[in-house]
Amino acid sequence: MRKYLNIFKATLINELQYVSDIVLGFLSFLIKIFIFLQLWNYLYDDPSSLIAGLSKDQMIWYVIITEMIWYGTRNKTLVSQITDDIKSGGIAYTLNKPYSYIIYIITKHFGEISIKFILYLILAIVTGFIFIGPIDFNIISLPFIIIVFLLSFIINAVIRIIISMLSFYIEDSTPFHWLYDKVIIVLGIIFPIEVFPKVLQPILKFTPIYVVTYGPAKLVIDFSINSFITILIVQIIYLIVIILLLALIYRKGVRKLNVNGG
Amino acid sequence: MLMEVKKELKFILLSIKYNLAREMTNKVTFLTNIIFMILNNAAFLIEWIIFFSIKDNIGGYGLKDVVLLWGLASGTYAICFLFFGAVQELPNLIMNGKIDSFLVQPKNVLISILTSKTKVSAIGDLIYSYILLFIYGFSIKNFLFFTLFIVTGGIIVTSIATIFGSLAFYITKADTLTGNVMGTMLNFDTYPEGIFKGAIRILFYTIIPISFAVYMPLNILKEFEIIKFIAVIIFTLFITLIAFLSFYKGLKKYSSGNLMSARV
Repeated sequence: MRKYLNIFKATLINELQYVSDIVLGFLSFLIKIFIFLQLWNYLYDDPSSLIAGLSKDQMIWYVIITEMIWYGTRNKTLVSQITDDIKSGGIAYTLNKPYSYIIYIITKHFGEISIKFILYLILAIVTGFIFIGPIDFNIISLPFIIIVFLLSFIINAVIRIIISMLSFYIEDSTPFHWLYDKVIIVLGIIFPIEVFPKVLQPILKFTPIYVVTYGPAKLVIDFSINSFITILIVQIIYLIVIILLLALIYRKGVRKLNVNGG
Repeated sequence: MLMEVKKELKFILLSIKYNLAREMTNKVTFLTNIIFMILNNAAFLIEWIIFFSIKDNIGGYGLKDVVLLWGLASGTYAICFLFFGAVQELPNLIMNGKIDSFLVQPKNVLISILTSKTKVSAIGDLIYSYILLFIYGFSIKNFLFFTLFIVTGGIIVTSIATIFGSLAFYITKADTLTGNVMGTMLNFDTYPEGIFKGAIRILFYTIIPISFAVYMPLNILKEFEIIKFIAVIIFTLFITLIAFLSFYKGLKKYSSGNLMSARV
């Protein structure tokens, strides 16, 4: 465990050098929020009206929070590094090392996103307060929300790793990441599940968006202990299933690995 | 002059041909890139179907107009990354002193750099853009104008990226800046112009000229106006000229990284 903690620390310290790059990336986040602000202002003719049971303020806060999760946890390690390690055969060198490649990648990922996420969290709060104002938020709900956020980050990371592991079977798994990105962006970031037609809503609760973006954001804008328990249970089930799937794909994939000398 | 243009066009087409031949060595990856890009783009139609279920007119656009907007935007980026796929890498090539191998070629340096890479996924974007044109309404007139405008749009986006990328001759972080500008253009030009109010629209005609790349072409396709048509053509020529001037002015300050490399 200590070695992973050291990997986390080393990555975290390394990331401190790139704070200015993260800050430059804020522009893209702010533009997205600006566009959705304009769009929802246009769609809510009357600011006091409700769409799918949500007020304009709740809707925009929802977008800010989901975009914050999206921008704050995006990381090339889960996409490019794994794919490159598999394509180049470099992953073979990690097999006889005294650590698990998957835990190493997850630890490195969290080391890389920690500072980024905190900066985006601050930016999101400031942006929300400036453009919309405070939201009805009970500080007692904070520990519950933190648990759901952490689980959502882990689930997202494991799903990304599973997709990248497809490189064992097809050379480049990037197109599958595009599809996952779009599922999350279109179904999970732009609108809450309540906006979709009623027939689709139960199906959407089985998709990653429920556990990765919708769940955490919903608890921030409209917390209830029942919602927390439901989201937590679904997250735990999701996590167990995807960890088993990852173990299976990794074990089978490593056996398929071809290394071209060097 | 015309002969020179013809030679450069021939050179661009040959570069793309060889780039694609190189990419096609792995056919499965080649095809998945194209097919998944089409699916990736199609996901956004869901977004708009949901928006239009809330309100049937958004910023003066109906669903059909948004389909055309997406067609033009996809086509524009397809032309940019199909023909000038290395434009995003320009700042890094400059910063790392890696353009030596292009300097010794008997062709235009900027064009040689920009055409040195082709993004396969751009073929998916291109196919998708024409699918959307068919959904919007196919006619010979629409087809010809659409094709012309995705070419002018592609040149405008490439030129803007070149102008910002050329700042790498003077400053670091030009790569992040170029990425941000391209991302900004892509973010704005897939949403109806009418939802944006006030000073922001000035940006659409200046720093991020998406009005000339996408919005004006859309209006012309809906209803032809000669003034707008001339404005798009003149702006395309103007921004191309600025891109060449920016690059060649910066090139005088270029210093090599002395990296031994060969282009094959």
